[in-house]
Amino acid sequence: MLCSSFLHMARKSGTAADRRLAFEREALPHLDAVYSAALRLARNPDDANDLTQETILRAYRFFDQFSPGTNCRAWLLTILYNSFRNAWRRGEREQPASTSEEFAGEIEAQSRDADQSRINPEALLLSRTAGRRIELALNALPAEFREALIFVDVQELNYQEVAIVLDVPLGTVKSRVSRGRALMRKALCRLDQARGKTGT
Amino acid sequence: MDCREYISEYLAGHADGELAPLARRGADEHVSGCPICRAQLIEARALKAMVRQGAAIVKTPADLKSRIRGALDEADRRAAAPWTARLAELFAPFRAAASRVREPLIWAPAGLAAVIAIAILAAIAVPRRGLIATPPPVPEFELAISRFQQFQHDFVPNVPAEAYENQTGAVYAWVINRDPVHRVTDEADSDAFNDLARSYRSANLPDDLFDFAQAGYTITGGRVDQLPDGQPIAYTLYEGAAGEIVSLCFYDPTMAAPIGALNWLGLRSFYEYKGYSICLSFYPTGHFISILITRMPVTQLMRDVAFADPSGISR
Repeated sequence: MLCSSFLHMARKSGTAADRRLAFEREALPHLDAVYSAALRLARNPDDANDLTQETILRAYRFFDQFSPGTNCRAWLLTILYNSFRNAWRRGEREQPASTSEEFAGEIEAQSRDADQSRINPEALLLSRTAGRRIELALNALPAEFREALIFVDVQELNYQEVAIVLDVPLGTVKSRVSRGRALMRKALCRLDQARGKTGT
Repeated sequence: MDCREYISEYLAGHADGELAPLARRGADEHVSGCPICRAQLIEARALKAMVRQGAAIVKTPADLKSRIRGALDEADRRAAAPWTARLAELFAPFRAAASRVREPLIWAPAGLAAVIAIAILAAIAVPRRGLIATPPPVPEFELAISRFQQFQHDFVPNVPAEAYENQTGAVYAWVINRDPVHRVTDEADSDAFNDLARSYRSANLPDDLFDFAQAGYTITGGRVDQLPDGQPIAYTLYEGAAGEIVSLCFYDPTMAAPIGALNWLGLRSFYEYKGYSICLSFYPTGHFISILITRMPVTQLMRDVAFADPSGISR
Protein backbone atom coordinates (compact mmCIF):
# COMPACT_ATOMS: atom_id res chain seq x y z
CA MET A 1 0.00 0.00 0.00
CA LEU A 2 2.82 2.33 1.01
CA CYS A 3 4.71 1.36 -2.10
CA SER A 4 1.66 1.91 -4.24
CA SER A 5 1.00 5.40 -2.88
CA PHE A 6 4.69 6.31 -3.25
CA LEU A 7 4.52 5.27 -6.89
CA HIS A 8 1.34 7.23 -7.38
CA MET A 9 2.89 10.39 -5.93
CA ALA A 10 6.05 9.89 -7.96
CA ARG A 11 4.07 9.58 -11.15
CA LYS A 12 1.77 12.51 -10.52
CA SER A 13 4.02 15.11 -9.00
CA GLY A 14 7.59 13.88 -8.82
CA THR A 15 10.61 14.70 -10.90
CA ALA A 16 11.40 12.98 -14.16
CA ALA A 17 13.77 10.70 -12.23
CA ASP A 18 10.97 9.72 -9.81
CA ARG A 19 8.67 9.01 -12.71
CA ARG A 20 11.27 6.82 -14.38
CA LEU A 21 11.89 4.99 -11.13
CA ALA A 22 8.16 4.40 -10.63
CA PHE A 23 7.84 3.10 -14.19
CA GLU A 24 10.80 0.77 -13.74
CA ARG A 25 9.36 -0.61 -10.51
CA GLU A 26 5.79 -0.98 -11.67
CA ALA A 27 5.85 -1.67 -15.40
CA LEU A 28 9.24 -3.12 -16.34
CA PRO A 29 8.85 -6.28 -14.21
CA HIS A 30 6.19 -7.23 -16.78
CA LEU A 31 8.56 -6.87 -19.72
CA ASP A 32 8.92 -10.63 -20.22
CA ALA A 33 5.13 -11.03 -20.18
CA VAL A 34 4.77 -8.28 -22.79
CA TYR A 35 7.52 -9.76 -24.95
CA SER A 36 6.01 -13.26 -24.72
CA ALA A 37 2.57 -11.98 -25.70
CA ALA A 38 4.12 -9.98 -28.57
CA LEU A 39 5.89 -13.10 -29.78
CA ARG A 40 2.65 -15.13 -29.70
CA LEU A 41 0.64 -12.43 -31.45
CA ALA A 42 3.15 -11.46 -34.11
CA ARG A 43 4.62 -14.97 -34.56
CA ASN A 44 7.80 -13.36 -35.79
CA PRO A 45 10.74 -12.30 -33.55
CA ASP A 46 11.48 -9.08 -35.46
CA ASP A 47 7.88 -7.88 -35.29
CA ALA A 48 7.70 -8.98 -31.65
CA ASN A 49 10.77 -6.85 -30.81
CA ASP A 50 9.27 -3.79 -32.48
CA LEU A 51 5.89 -4.37 -30.89
CA THR A 52 7.43 -4.74 -27.42
CA GLN A 53 9.52 -1.61 -27.72
CA GLU A 54 6.57 0.40 -29.07
CA THR A 55 4.39 -0.83 -26.20
CA ILE A 56 6.87 0.05 -23.48
CA LEU A 57 7.56 3.51 -24.87
CA ARG A 58 3.87 4.23 -25.26
CA ALA A 59 3.21 3.03 -21.72
CA TYR A 60 6.00 5.29 -20.43
CA ARG A 61 4.56 8.24 -22.28
CA PHE A 62 1.10 7.68 -20.85
CA PHE A 63 2.18 6.32 -17.47
CA ASP A 64 0.27 9.10 -15.71
CA GLN A 65 -2.91 7.40 -16.89
CA PHE A 66 -2.18 4.11 -15.17
CA SER A 67 -4.18 3.67 -11.95
CA PRO A 68 -2.03 2.33 -9.11
CA GLY A 69 -3.39 -0.79 -7.50
CA THR A 70 -4.82 -2.11 -10.77
CA ASN A 71 -3.24 -4.84 -12.86
CA CYS A 72 -0.27 -3.24 -14.60
CA ARG A 73 0.29 -6.32 -16.75
CA ALA A 74 -3.28 -6.05 -18.09
CA TRP A 75 -2.75 -2.34 -18.78
CA LEU A 76 0.46 -3.04 -20.71
CA LEU A 77 -1.19 -5.86 -22.65
CA THR A 78 -4.04 -3.52 -23.61
CA ILE A 79 -1.50 -1.14 -25.11
CA LEU A 80 0.31 -4.03 -26.79
CA TYR A 81 -2.87 -5.39 -28.32
CA ASN A 82 -3.93 -1.98 -29.62
CA SER A 83 -0.55 -1.51 -31.26
CA PHE A 84 -0.69 -4.99 -32.74
CA ARG A 85 -4.21 -4.52 -34.06
CA ASN A 86 -3.38 -1.14 -35.60
CA ALA A 87 -0.37 -2.63 -37.38
CA TRP A 88 -2.42 -5.61 -38.51
CA ARG A 89 -5.14 -3.34 -39.91
CA ARG A 90 -2.53 -1.63 -42.02
CA GLY A 91 -1.50 -4.99 -43.40
CA GLU A 92 1.93 -5.04 -41.80
CA ARG A 93 1.37 -8.36 -40.08
CA GLU A 94 0.53 -11.78 -41.34
CA GLN A 95 -3.21 -12.43 -41.52
CA PRO A 96 -4.14 -15.37 -39.33
CA ALA A 97 -6.44 -18.24 -40.28
CA SER A 98 -10.07 -17.38 -39.69
CA THR A 99 -12.38 -20.00 -41.22
CA SER A 100 -12.65 -23.66 -40.38
CA GLU A 101 -11.26 -24.61 -43.81
CA GLU A 102 -8.28 -22.33 -43.25
CA PHE A 103 -7.85 -23.82 -39.80
CA ALA A 104 -7.80 -27.36 -41.24
CA GLY A 105 -5.30 -26.22 -43.88
CA GLU A 106 -3.14 -24.58 -41.25
CA ILE A 107 -3.13 -27.76 -39.16
CA GLU A 108 -2.04 -29.79 -42.21
CA ALA A 109 0.73 -27.30 -42.89
CA GLN A 110 1.89 -27.38 -39.28
CA SER A 111 1.90 -31.19 -39.40
CA ARG A 112 4.00 -31.15 -42.56
CA ASP A 113 6.42 -28.71 -40.95
CA ALA A 114 6.67 -31.01 -37.97
CA ASP A 115 7.44 -33.93 -40.31
CA GLN A 116 10.09 -31.91 -42.14
CA SER A 117 11.81 -31.12 -38.88
CA ARG A 118 12.58 -34.81 -38.38
CA ILE A 119 15.37 -34.63 -40.96
CA ASN A 120 17.46 -32.95 -38.29
CA PRO A 121 17.99 -35.01 -35.10
CA GLU A 122 17.93 -31.93 -32.84
CA ALA A 123 14.71 -30.74 -34.47
CA LEU A 124 13.28 -34.21 -34.08
CA LEU A 125 13.98 -34.09 -30.36
CA LEU A 126 12.44 -30.63 -30.11
CA SER A 127 9.32 -31.61 -32.01
CA ARG A 128 8.66 -34.38 -29.54
CA THR A 129 8.49 -32.03 -26.61
CA ALA A 130 5.13 -30.97 -25.28
CA GLY A 131 6.02 -27.32 -25.75
CA ARG A 132 6.56 -27.72 -29.47
CA ARG A 133 3.30 -29.63 -29.82
CA ILE A 134 1.35 -26.94 -27.98
CA GLU A 135 3.01 -24.24 -30.02
CA LEU A 136 2.10 -25.90 -33.31
CA ALA A 137 -1.51 -26.33 -32.20
CA LEU A 138 -1.76 -22.76 -30.89
CA ASN A 139 -0.32 -21.31 -34.07
CA ALA A 140 -2.92 -23.17 -36.11
CA LEU A 141 -5.84 -21.57 -34.24
CA PRO A 142 -7.74 -18.67 -35.77
CA ALA A 143 -6.37 -15.48 -34.24
CA GLU A 144 -9.35 -14.60 -32.06
CA PHE A 145 -9.24 -17.95 -30.25
CA ARG A 146 -5.46 -18.02 -30.00
CA GLU A 147 -5.47 -14.55 -28.46
CA ALA A 148 -8.13 -15.51 -25.90
CA LEU A 149 -6.13 -18.55 -24.78
CA ILE A 150 -2.87 -16.61 -24.66
CA PHE A 151 -4.35 -13.96 -22.39
CA VAL A 152 -6.32 -16.35 -20.14
CA ASP A 153 -4.04 -19.39 -19.92
CA VAL A 154 -0.55 -17.97 -20.46
CA GLN A 155 -0.85 -14.41 -19.18
CA GLU A 156 -3.31 -15.45 -16.48
CA LEU A 157 -5.63 -12.47 -16.87
CA ASN A 158 -9.22 -12.82 -15.72
CA TYR A 159 -12.08 -12.64 -18.21
CA GLN A 160 -12.89 -9.03 -17.35
CA GLU A 161 -9.30 -7.97 -17.98
CA VAL A 162 -9.21 -9.90 -21.25
CA ALA A 163 -12.44 -8.21 -22.33
CA ILE A 164 -10.72 -4.84 -21.85
CA VAL A 165 -7.53 -5.92 -23.60
CA LEU A 166 -9.39 -7.31 -26.62
CA ASP A 167 -12.09 -4.64 -26.50
CA VAL A 168 -14.90 -7.17 -26.68
CA PRO A 169 -17.84 -7.94 -24.36
CA LEU A 170 -17.31 -10.34 -21.46
CA GLY A 171 -19.57 -12.97 -23.06
CA THR A 172 -17.37 -12.97 -26.15
CA VAL A 173 -14.31 -13.78 -24.04
CA LYS A 174 -16.14 -16.72 -22.46
CA SER A 175 -17.21 -18.14 -25.81
CA ARG A 176 -13.77 -17.62 -27.37
CA VAL A 177 -12.04 -19.43 -24.50
CA SER A 178 -14.54 -22.26 -24.72
CA ARG A 179 -14.30 -22.59 -28.50
CA GLY A 180 -10.53 -22.06 -28.41
CA ARG A 181 -10.06 -25.03 -26.07
CA ALA A 182 -12.27 -27.22 -28.26
CA LEU A 183 -10.18 -26.27 -31.31
CA MET A 184 -6.94 -26.85 -29.39
CA ARG A 185 -8.11 -30.34 -28.51
CA LYS A 186 -8.89 -30.98 -32.17
CA ALA A 187 -5.57 -29.55 -33.32
CA LEU A 188 -3.60 -31.69 -30.85
CA CYS A 189 -5.46 -34.80 -32.03
CA ARG A 190 -4.65 -34.01 -35.65
CA LEU A 191 -0.99 -33.46 -34.84
CA ASP A 192 -0.89 -36.79 -33.01
CA GLN A 193 -2.55 -38.51 -35.98
CA ALA A 194 0.03 -37.00 -38.32
CA ARG A 195 2.80 -38.31 -36.08
CA GLY A 196 1.14 -41.74 -35.99
CA LYS A 197 1.16 -41.93 -39.79
CA THR A 198 4.94 -41.39 -39.91
CA GLY A 199 5.53 -43.82 -37.09
CA THR A 200 7.25 -41.40 -34.75
CA MET B 1 -28.55 -27.80 -15.21
CA ASP B 2 -28.15 -30.47 -17.90
CA CYS B 3 -24.94 -31.60 -19.62
CA ARG B 4 -25.51 -29.52 -22.71
CA GLU B 5 -26.03 -26.35 -20.68
CA TYR B 6 -23.03 -27.11 -18.47
CA ILE B 7 -20.66 -27.61 -21.40
CA SER B 8 -21.83 -24.65 -23.44
CA GLU B 9 -22.32 -22.16 -20.61
CA TYR B 10 -20.24 -23.16 -17.62
CA LEU B 11 -17.35 -25.47 -18.49
CA ALA B 12 -14.77 -22.84 -19.54
CA GLY B 13 -15.60 -20.52 -16.64
CA HIS B 14 -15.54 -23.46 -14.21
CA ALA B 15 -12.07 -24.51 -15.37
CA ASP B 16 -10.84 -20.91 -15.12
CA GLY B 17 -12.39 -20.16 -11.72
CA GLU B 18 -14.51 -17.43 -13.28
CA LEU B 19 -17.97 -18.47 -12.11
CA ALA B 20 -19.96 -16.37 -9.65
CA PRO B 21 -20.62 -18.16 -6.31
CA LEU B 22 -24.16 -19.25 -7.19
CA ALA B 23 -23.19 -20.51 -10.65
CA ARG B 24 -20.14 -22.20 -9.18
CA ARG B 25 -22.31 -24.07 -6.69
CA GLY B 26 -24.64 -25.24 -9.47
CA ALA B 27 -21.70 -26.33 -11.64
CA ASP B 28 -20.07 -28.20 -8.75
CA GLU B 29 -23.31 -30.00 -8.04
CA HIS B 30 -23.69 -31.00 -11.68
CA VAL B 31 -20.19 -32.44 -12.12
CA SER B 32 -20.36 -34.29 -8.81
CA GLY B 33 -23.28 -36.28 -10.21
CA CYS B 34 -22.15 -36.53 -13.86
CA PRO B 35 -18.98 -38.49 -14.70
CA ILE B 36 -18.98 -37.31 -18.35
CA CYS B 37 -18.97 -33.63 -17.46
CA ARG B 38 -16.48 -34.29 -14.66
CA ALA B 39 -14.13 -35.81 -17.25
CA GLN B 40 -14.67 -32.76 -19.48
CA LEU B 41 -13.76 -30.45 -16.61
CA ILE B 42 -10.62 -32.42 -15.81
CA GLU B 43 -9.64 -32.37 -19.47
CA ALA B 44 -10.25 -28.60 -19.76
CA ARG B 45 -8.06 -27.97 -16.70
CA ALA B 46 -5.34 -30.25 -18.05
CA LEU B 47 -5.43 -28.45 -21.40
CA LYS B 48 -5.19 -25.10 -19.64
CA ALA B 49 -2.13 -26.32 -17.71
CA MET B 50 -0.57 -27.69 -20.91
CA VAL B 51 -1.02 -24.39 -22.72
CA ARG B 52 0.44 -22.50 -19.76
CA GLN B 53 3.51 -24.77 -19.70
CA GLY B 54 3.88 -25.20 -23.44
CA ALA B 55 3.56 -21.52 -24.32
CA ALA B 56 5.25 -20.23 -21.19
CA ILE B 57 6.53 -16.71 -20.58
CA VAL B 58 9.93 -16.36 -22.22
CA LYS B 59 12.82 -14.09 -21.32
CA THR B 60 13.20 -10.86 -23.23
CA PRO B 61 16.41 -10.97 -25.29
CA ALA B 62 19.21 -8.92 -23.73
CA ASP B 63 19.68 -6.78 -26.84
CA LEU B 64 16.00 -5.83 -26.87
CA LYS B 65 16.20 -4.92 -23.18
CA SER B 66 19.12 -2.61 -23.80
CA ARG B 67 17.37 -1.13 -26.85
CA ILE B 68 14.33 -0.36 -24.71
CA ARG B 69 16.43 1.19 -21.94
CA GLY B 70 18.16 3.36 -24.53
CA ALA B 71 14.80 4.47 -25.94
CA LEU B 72 13.54 5.34 -22.45
CA ASP B 73 16.72 7.35 -21.80
CA GLU B 74 16.17 9.17 -25.07
CA ALA B 75 12.56 9.93 -24.11
CA ASP B 76 13.77 11.34 -20.77
CA ARG B 77 16.42 13.40 -22.49
CA ARG B 78 13.90 14.91 -24.88
CA ALA B 79 11.42 15.62 -22.11
CA ALA B 80 14.09 17.32 -19.99
CA ALA B 81 15.41 19.55 -22.76
CA PRO B 82 14.20 23.17 -22.50
CA TRP B 83 12.10 24.41 -25.40
CA THR B 84 15.02 26.45 -26.77
CA ALA B 85 17.09 23.29 -27.04
CA ARG B 86 14.23 21.49 -28.76
CA LEU B 87 13.94 24.37 -31.22
CA ALA B 88 17.70 24.26 -31.83
CA GLU B 89 17.40 20.53 -32.49
CA LEU B 90 14.63 21.26 -34.95
CA PHE B 91 16.84 23.62 -36.93
CA ALA B 92 20.02 21.55 -36.63
CA PRO B 93 19.73 20.06 -40.14
CA PHE B 94 19.46 23.55 -41.66
CA ARG B 95 22.47 24.82 -39.69
CA ALA B 96 24.48 21.79 -40.76
CA ALA B 97 23.52 22.39 -44.39
CA ALA B 98 24.50 26.06 -44.10
CA SER B 99 27.89 25.21 -42.62
CA ARG B 100 28.52 22.68 -45.38
CA VAL B 101 27.93 25.40 -47.96
CA ARG B 102 30.35 27.80 -46.21
CA GLU B 103 33.23 25.39 -45.69
CA PRO B 104 34.47 24.29 -49.13
CA LEU B 105 35.54 27.53 -50.80
CA ILE B 106 36.81 25.52 -53.72
CA TRP B 107 33.21 25.06 -54.86
CA ALA B 108 32.49 28.81 -54.93
CA PRO B 109 33.12 29.32 -58.70
CA ALA B 110 31.03 26.26 -59.55
CA GLY B 111 28.24 27.50 -57.30
CA LEU B 112 28.32 30.93 -58.91
CA ALA B 113 28.09 29.35 -62.35
CA ALA B 114 25.15 27.23 -61.25
CA VAL B 115 23.29 30.24 -59.88
CA ILE B 116 23.79 32.13 -63.16
CA ALA B 117 22.67 29.10 -65.19
CA ILE B 118 19.51 28.69 -63.11
CA ALA B 119 18.73 32.39 -63.40
CA ILE B 120 19.07 32.24 -67.22
CA LEU B 121 16.95 29.10 -67.47
CA ALA B 122 14.27 30.63 -65.24
CA ALA B 123 14.20 33.79 -67.34
CA ILE B 124 13.79 31.72 -70.54
CA ALA B 125 11.21 29.35 -69.10
CA VAL B 126 8.91 31.91 -67.48
CA PRO B 127 9.46 35.17 -69.32
CA ARG B 128 5.89 36.41 -68.80
CA ARG B 129 5.46 35.38 -65.20
CA GLY B 130 8.70 36.74 -63.84
CA LEU B 131 11.14 34.86 -61.62
CA ILE B 132 9.77 32.02 -59.54
CA ALA B 133 9.52 33.29 -55.98
CA THR B 134 9.67 31.07 -52.92
CA PRO B 135 6.12 30.94 -51.51
CA PRO B 136 5.92 32.94 -48.31
CA PRO B 137 5.67 30.90 -45.12
CA VAL B 138 2.14 30.25 -43.91
CA PRO B 139 2.02 31.09 -40.17
CA GLU B 140 -0.83 28.64 -39.50
CA PHE B 141 1.12 25.82 -41.14
CA GLU B 142 4.25 26.80 -39.21
CA LEU B 143 2.24 26.58 -36.00
CA ALA B 144 0.95 23.17 -37.04
CA ILE B 145 4.49 21.91 -37.73
CA SER B 146 5.81 23.14 -34.42
CA ARG B 147 2.92 21.49 -32.53
CA PHE B 148 3.33 18.26 -34.52
CA GLN B 149 7.01 18.15 -33.55
CA GLN B 150 6.16 18.85 -29.92
CA PHE B 151 3.29 16.37 -29.62
CA GLN B 152 5.29 13.52 -31.10
CA HIS B 153 7.28 13.46 -27.87
CA ASP B 154 5.12 15.26 -25.37
CA PHE B 155 1.35 15.23 -25.62
CA VAL B 156 -0.62 15.64 -22.41
CA PRO B 157 -4.36 15.47 -22.98
CA ASN B 158 -6.38 17.80 -20.77
CA VAL B 159 -9.99 17.12 -21.84
CA PRO B 160 -11.59 15.25 -20.22
CA ALA B 161 -9.72 12.89 -17.93
CA GLU B 162 -12.50 10.32 -17.84
CA ALA B 163 -12.24 9.90 -21.58
CA TYR B 164 -8.87 8.24 -21.35
CA GLU B 165 -9.08 5.66 -18.66
CA ASN B 166 -11.68 3.57 -16.99
CA GLN B 167 -11.81 2.34 -13.41
CA THR B 168 -9.31 -0.43 -14.04
CA GLY B 169 -6.82 1.96 -15.57
CA ALA B 170 -7.24 0.64 -19.10
CA VAL B 171 -6.71 3.31 -21.68
CA TYR B 172 -9.50 3.01 -24.13
CA ALA B 173 -9.59 6.31 -25.92
CA TRP B 174 -7.15 4.70 -28.36
CA VAL B 175 -9.71 2.31 -29.68
CA ILE B 176 -12.48 4.76 -30.31
CA ASN B 177 -14.52 4.24 -33.39
CA ARG B 178 -18.04 4.98 -34.42
CA ASP B 179 -19.04 1.41 -34.96
CA PRO B 180 -21.79 0.71 -32.40
CA VAL B 181 -21.04 -3.00 -32.55
CA HIS B 182 -17.48 -2.49 -31.36
CA ARG B 183 -17.99 0.18 -28.76
CA VAL B 184 -15.08 0.72 -26.47
CA THR B 185 -17.18 0.14 -23.42
CA ASP B 186 -20.49 -1.35 -22.54
CA GLU B 187 -21.55 1.83 -20.81
CA ALA B 188 -23.48 3.96 -23.25
CA ASP B 189 -22.65 7.24 -21.53
CA SER B 190 -18.88 6.91 -21.58
CA ASP B 191 -18.22 7.23 -25.26
CA ALA B 192 -14.94 9.12 -25.30
CA PHE B 193 -15.55 10.30 -28.84
CA ASN B 194 -18.61 12.14 -27.57
CA ASP B 195 -16.77 13.28 -24.45
CA LEU B 196 -14.12 14.94 -26.56
CA ALA B 197 -16.65 16.51 -28.90
CA ARG B 198 -18.58 17.86 -25.92
CA SER B 199 -15.43 19.32 -24.41
CA TYR B 200 -14.52 21.11 -27.60
CA ARG B 201 -18.02 22.52 -27.94
CA SER B 202 -17.96 23.73 -24.35
CA ALA B 203 -14.72 25.60 -25.19
CA ASN B 204 -16.68 27.31 -28.02
CA LEU B 205 -14.84 25.34 -30.68
CA PRO B 206 -16.22 23.06 -33.39
CA ASP B 207 -16.11 19.35 -32.49
CA ASP B 208 -13.51 18.72 -35.12
CA LEU B 209 -13.03 14.96 -34.72
CA PHE B 210 -12.17 12.44 -37.38
CA ASP B 211 -12.73 8.72 -37.24
CA PHE B 212 -9.47 7.44 -38.66
CA ALA B 213 -10.04 3.95 -37.29
CA GLN B 214 -10.31 2.45 -40.77
CA ALA B 215 -6.88 3.86 -41.56
CA GLY B 216 -5.44 2.29 -38.42
CA TYR B 217 -5.33 5.50 -36.42
CA THR B 218 -6.96 5.91 -33.04
CA ILE B 219 -7.50 8.94 -30.86
CA THR B 220 -4.87 9.39 -28.19
CA GLY B 221 -6.58 12.38 -26.69
CA GLY B 222 -7.57 16.00 -26.94
CA ARG B 223 -6.22 19.21 -25.55
CA VAL B 224 -7.67 22.71 -25.35
CA ASP B 225 -5.22 25.61 -24.95
CA GLN B 226 -5.22 29.32 -25.59
CA LEU B 227 -3.40 31.11 -28.36
CA PRO B 228 -1.45 34.28 -27.44
CA ASP B 229 -4.49 36.40 -28.39
CA GLY B 230 -6.62 34.49 -25.86
CA GLN B 231 -8.60 32.53 -28.44
CA PRO B 232 -9.08 28.84 -27.69
CA ILE B 233 -7.44 26.15 -29.80
CA ALA B 234 -8.21 22.43 -29.80
CA TYR B 235 -5.55 19.84 -30.51
CA THR B 236 -6.41 16.22 -31.19
CA LEU B 237 -3.72 13.58 -31.51
CA TYR B 238 -4.39 10.51 -33.61
CA GLU B 239 -1.83 7.74 -33.46
CA GLY B 240 -1.30 4.69 -35.58
CA ALA B 241 1.47 2.29 -36.36
CA ALA B 242 2.60 4.52 -39.22
CA GLY B 243 2.88 7.63 -37.08
CA GLU B 244 0.74 10.50 -35.90
CA ILE B 245 -1.83 12.92 -37.23
CA VAL B 246 -2.32 16.13 -35.28
CA SER B 247 -5.46 18.19 -35.71
CA LEU B 248 -5.58 21.89 -34.79
CA CYS B 249 -8.85 23.80 -34.78
CA PHE B 250 -9.13 27.50 -33.97
CA TYR B 251 -10.76 30.83 -34.82
CA ASP B 252 -8.95 32.56 -37.68
CA PRO B 253 -11.09 35.09 -39.59
CA THR B 254 -8.20 36.40 -41.69
CA MET B 255 -6.87 33.22 -43.22
CA ALA B 256 -7.36 32.48 -46.89
CA ALA B 257 -6.31 29.25 -48.58
CA PRO B 258 -2.62 29.64 -49.55
CA ILE B 259 -1.68 29.12 -53.19
CA GLY B 260 -0.24 25.77 -54.20
CA ALA B 261 -2.96 23.39 -53.04
CA LEU B 262 -2.35 19.97 -54.60
CA ASN B 263 -6.00 19.00 -54.48
CA TRP B 264 -9.38 19.98 -53.18
CA LEU B 265 -12.10 17.94 -51.55
CA GLY B 266 -15.18 20.08 -50.98
CA LEU B 267 -14.10 22.84 -48.61
CA ARG B 268 -10.87 21.08 -47.76
CA SER B 269 -7.57 21.75 -49.52
CA PHE B 270 -4.47 19.58 -49.37
CA TYR B 271 -0.86 20.75 -49.34
CA GLU B 272 2.66 19.40 -49.14
CA TYR B 273 4.51 21.87 -46.97
CA LYS B 274 8.09 21.45 -45.73
CA GLY B 275 7.90 17.67 -45.85
CA TYR B 276 4.49 17.45 -44.18
CA SER B 277 1.07 16.64 -45.61
CA ILE B 278 -1.56 19.15 -44.59
CA CYS B 279 -5.32 19.27 -44.92
CA LEU B 280 -6.80 22.75 -44.43
CA SER B 281 -10.54 23.18 -43.86
CA PHE B 282 -12.70 26.21 -43.43
CA TYR B 283 -15.81 25.78 -41.39
CA PRO B 284 -18.74 27.39 -43.17
CA THR B 285 -19.79 29.36 -40.10
CA GLY B 286 -17.83 31.04 -37.36
CA HIS B 287 -14.49 31.66 -39.15
CA PHE B 288 -12.94 28.55 -37.71
CA ILE B 289 -10.20 26.68 -39.50
CA SER B 290 -9.04 23.13 -39.07
CA ILE B 291 -5.59 21.86 -39.94
CA LEU B 292 -4.63 18.20 -40.11
CA ILE B 293 -0.91 17.58 -40.28
CA THR B 294 0.96 14.34 -40.72
CA ARG B 295 4.06 12.77 -42.20
CA MET B 296 2.13 10.27 -44.30
CA PRO B 297 1.76 10.88 -48.07
CA VAL B 298 -0.80 13.49 -49.05
CA THR B 299 -2.72 11.02 -51.23
CA GLN B 300 -3.15 8.77 -48.21
CA LEU B 301 -4.31 11.71 -46.11
CA MET B 302 -6.88 12.63 -48.76
CA ARG B 303 -8.25 9.12 -48.86
CA ASP B 304 -8.46 8.87 -45.07
CA VAL B 305 -10.10 12.28 -44.72
CA ALA B 306 -12.72 11.39 -47.33
CA PHE B 307 -13.69 8.33 -45.25
CA ALA B 308 -13.48 10.04 -41.89
CA ASP B 309 -15.09 13.40 -42.63
CA PRO B 310 -16.75 14.46 -39.36
CA SER B 311 -18.91 17.21 -40.77
CA GLY B 312 -19.58 16.30 -44.35
CA ILE B 313 -17.78 19.41 -45.61
CA SER B 314 -15.65 17.24 -47.87
CA ARG B 315 -18.74 16.28 -49.80
